[in-house]
Amino acid sequence: MSGPRDHEVDSDEEEDFNPAPADMSDDEGQNGDNDEEEAPRRKASPGHTRNGADDDEDDEEEEDDQDDVNARNDDDDEEDEDEEEEDEIQGHRRKRRKDRRNAFFDIEAEVDDEDEGEDDEEGAEDQEGFIEHGDPEEADFAARDDERIHQDLDRRRQQDADFDAERMARELQQRHAHRRRAPGMGETGAVPQRLLLPSVDDPSIWGVRCKEGKEREVIFSIMKRVQEKMGTKDELGITAAFERGGPNSVMKGLIYVEAQRQTDILQALEGMLNVYPRTKLLLVDIKEMPDLLRVQKTPTLEPGSWVRLKRPNKYAGDLAQVLDVTENGLEARVRYIPRLDYGMRDEHPGAMTADGKRKRPVTGARPPQKLFSEVEARKRHPRYITGNPNTNVWQYNGDEFEQGFLVKDIKIQLLVVKDVNPTLEEVTKFASGGDDGVENIDLKSLAASLKDSSTNVTYLPGDVIEVYEGEQKGVVGRATNVQGDIVTMDVTEGDLAGQTIEVPTKGLRKRFKTGDHVKVIGGSRYRDEVGMVVSISEDRVTLLTDQTTTEIIVFSKDLREASDLGGQGALGQYEMLDLVQLDPTTVGCIVKLDRESMVVLDQNGDTRQVMPSQIANKLPRRKLAVAADRNGSEIRPDDVVKEYGGMSRQGKIVHIHRTYVFCHTNATNENAGIFVCKVSNVSTISAKGGRVTSSIASGPDLNSMNPMKKLNPNAKGDMPPPKATFGRDRLVGQTVTIKKGGWKGLLGRVKETTDTHARVELHTKSKIINVPKADLVVRDGVSGREIKNYENRRPGGFLGPRPGSDRPNPEWNGGSRTPMTNASSRTPAWKTPTQGPNGGRTPAWSRAGGDGGRTPAWAGADGSRTVNPYDGNRTAYGGAGSRTPAWSSGAKTPAPDSFGHGSKTPAYGGGVSDAWGSGSKTPYGASAPTPTANGGDSWSGYTPGASGGSHAYDAPTPGMLGAPTPGLNYTAPTPAAMNAPTPSAQWQGGWGADAPTPAAGVSQLSALASSFSVGPGSKVS
Amino acid sequence: MSSTNNAPSFVPPNQHSRLRACMVCSIVMLQSKFRDDGCPNCDDFLRLRKDTEAIESCTSQVFEGLITLANPARSWVAKWQRLDGYVQGVYAIKVSGQLPDEVKATMEEEFRITYIPRDGSAVETE
Repeated sequence: MSGPRDHEVDSDEEEDFNPAPADMSDDEGQNGDNDEEEAPRRKASPGHTRNGADDDEDDEEEEDDQDDVNARNDDDDEEDEDEEEEDEIQGHRRKRRKDRRNAFFDIEAEVDDEDEGEDDEEGAEDQEGFIEHGDPEEADFAARDDERIHQDLDRRRQQDADFDAERMARELQQRHAHRRRAPGMGETGAVPQRLLLPSVDDPSIWGVRCKEGKEREVIFSIMKRVQEKMGTKDELGITAAFERGGPNSVMKGLIYVEAQRQTDILQALEGMLNVYPRTKLLLVDIKEMPDLLRVQKTPTLEPGSWVRLKRPNKYAGDLAQVLDVTENGLEARVRYIPRLDYGMRDEHPGAMTADGKRKRPVTGARPPQKLFSEVEARKRHPRYITGNPNTNVWQYNGDEFEQGFLVKDIKIQLLVVKDVNPTLEEVTKFASGGDDGVENIDLKSLAASLKDSSTNVTYLPGDVIEVYEGEQKGVVGRATNVQGDIVTMDVTEGDLAGQTIEVPTKGLRKRFKTGDHVKVIGGSRYRDEVGMVVSISEDRVTLLTDQTTTEIIVFSKDLREASDLGGQGALGQYEMLDLVQLDPTTVGCIVKLDRESMVVLDQNGDTRQVMPSQIANKLPRRKLAVAADRNGSEIRPDDVVKEYGGMSRQGKIVHIHRTYVFCHTNATNENAGIFVCKVSNVSTISAKGGRVTSSIASGPDLNSMNPMKKLNPNAKGDMPPPKATFGRDRLVGQTVTIKKGGWKGLLGRVKETTDTHARVELHTKSKIINVPKADLVVRDGVSGREIKNYENRRPGGFLGPRPGSDRPNPEWNGGSRTPMTNASSRTPAWKTPTQGPNGGRTPAWSRAGGDGGRTPAWAGADGSRTVNPYDGNRTAYGGAGSRTPAWSSGAKTPAPDSFGHGSKTPAYGGGVSDAWGSGSKTPYGASAPTPTANGGDSWSGYTPGASGGSHAYDAPTPGMLGAPTPGLNYTAPTPAAMNAPTPSAQWQGGWGADAPTPAAGVSQLSALASSFSVGPGSKVS
Repeated sequence: MSSTNNAPSFVPPNQHSRLRACMVCSIVMLQSKFRDDGCPNCDDFLRLRKDTEAIESCTSQVFEGLITLANPARSWVAKWQRLDGYVQGVYAIKVSGQLPDEVKATMEEEFRITYIPRDGSAVETE
């Protein structure tokens, strides 16, 4: 009997004992029974206590003991074949004895394991000669064994009752395979492989670590050692070893060794290079053994299909097309686009370096893919090229070129044939090589290449899909669920309509109808293109793109039904309507975005197509950009403006850049509705958020009524009216008390203001609160006295700064109460800048405008083009007035003083008179870069030109019309007013409340002017 | 011939590129050994000895997975790979390439041998 078998018999006996007939003399049959009984007895008197009933047994035990002695002797040389028979018997005996001792312990299995190994080995050793001499040698035990074997067989049959017949057959097959061994071909070939599955009888397989990439060497080393030691005393115990290495294998770094025992492996691999049996050996589960040897068929190449090259490195990854495959399928003739440098790199082919070694080829960027050019090749290597220009077939440097392609026989192991995924771009290069230049892409072969790599096809619930392969071919439905490779679909067409079936993605493709609006989702260079399906041929879909209205062909797998229109709205960082800098002086607004370029409307109104690279930078959108329209109104982004003249287009401002506005109109879609204008050429229609804007339309057209304009046609530039709110709110920084609300009575300081509210920092508590301006009382920062009408006086310029009620001087008080003051300070006219007072007070303006040459300060600073002058003007009036030391001193000192000065001295108070007198450019002090100052300049500069001055003063007078005080009217038309006979008086009147003329505003100025122009000294009384 | 007489199947690593695998029995040997000795298992019908052309068509240099077969009779690997009965040696798990049809026909008709393709195509049919 062979070893394993014997062992099994043993274990059977012990594990599932089948009671034997009582008269059986076979101790084997009874021994289980005896075991139970004898175990205690043996423990008490091991070995030699005799019992009549067990004669046979005891006899045998004596034998056992003898055997045991032998066994012990033989332990050292188990492999000795002479002892074969005894060994075998001893195997049973020994085990049984051990079993008896361990009857109540659960360590049998472990003990068995050791024995099993030994037994197996014995079996292995005597296996060859088993049939010939096995039986005769066992003759002593023949009868007993015979009986035993039969019983065993019965038991095994019972045990195997639930084994299916197939497995039985297989096991029988395996059991007898060894014996019937007759060298010959394909004997087992007839047996289906599933009947060859490994069983417990077969040797085990261990995985052994080895050096990666050295698997094959190790296998050959093992082979060498096996053959060297064959027939010698220390023959290796392993039966086979194999590797499944390879660069892409998961089993690299491992070899698998098949052996009965682990020690065989250690012995076999001891001291071998590149393999590490001392590390942990991985026992392979029986079930997994067939998987280790699983072979997958390499897809066969067919002419026309696409592959990628692995080598040489220069071409690694390049796409190639199979032209032909050799009969045995091991080599393919492929064509690909060469990467030639035509000797540009190696100046001297085969040149030696200094140390006599051949130069290594330059490693660097590989040459670009380019079709072979005979001309290029002849330039440097005329001798290396041979060929026929008619067929366009050339041999160059040992390579063959056809139609410009490099054609070569390449072994298939150097080709990537799976997951090639050729892109349309790559394939197009091959196609365009056609003789006539006509693109003849063989989409069919491309599709075939792509078909295998269905991994990149994604189906989403909702996709309409079609089964094009397999039994359910032709079924159309809508995907409802996608799980891994299985798509659940509701069938909508065909016999199965209404059913829900599951199909593998392999045979699926998306289905579209002509007219569907689809989007390219991947795979091709048309990614993200959106278009309409115009024709479908199998899985190739032709679309008419929305953006470029060209026809493109893509695979249906790369398409999805599109819900969005138009394609992408962004090209890189640029989006529609972005303002971009084209060059230092040119900006433009993006009005169209294409795939790789965009159309920009520049500030001059020209459109140009630019690449993103031509754009210097993107200008951030300035929400706070502000400009003045032709009327001087403030315009900001999102305001609606109308073009003046031209096409009178009306649109919403998108961008303001310097003096240009880019507006969007819905009236046209030319340039995406964008047009560009100069700011001076638009007028506000409506301001965003209802901002107060001035509009000439709201009042009489003062320009046309302005006689000065007519008188002085050269005068350019309309004076845009000053803003009602401009410049720094003078309330800021003022000390105030709150007169209403929860904070009533508290003192604070204004930090910031809006039109209606002020943020007040309380003195009492470190807190900033929001209070309506109306609820504030402005107080003097030092004295704490209330300053009345602070806000109202603010724009009043000259009038503003005066402290009001706290002045004991009745004149002051009166002044504040006179209609003059009130008129000028409180009338809406004041607030609407187009009105008279403004004009009345800014005589220098038109003057400046008209005679810009003579008033460099004016012209240089602001001209009349911008609102700034107004701003400056007003702040000059207001600010200068309020802040100049003269004023404040005036405020604090008794009025008579300042008036006295003013009235008696032409200097008009110390500081101020200095300023005026000197004619310096900052007459009101450094803090006043103000028109007033400038005005002072011009005035002092032109003092003799009284008439000019008067003109200037006259100029704005029409504004008086708007002024509610008739007095203004009176003054306006009479230049004489300018020449007020008593400047000092006027002056005083201007400041004082008791000016007799209603034209106080004007008279103030005129008084000023006259006093200066005439000469301070002369007229002052 | 291999380097040592007592290990005839050994091939030093520098010779590995010249290895070929028999498409019938998948034994891996140097091309020169095929030429000199023929296929030890299948030369009855393949007749590779001294026939370079036959070697070219019936053996393949594209193969994967090497097996050292030390004891073809006892090895399960050999059984599974249907190598039991073959000589000791190095075999491949997968041999790419197709045997010429006439050779296949000869094998099956004259020698009554079922040809088992070694390139993995047989597995799929089961």
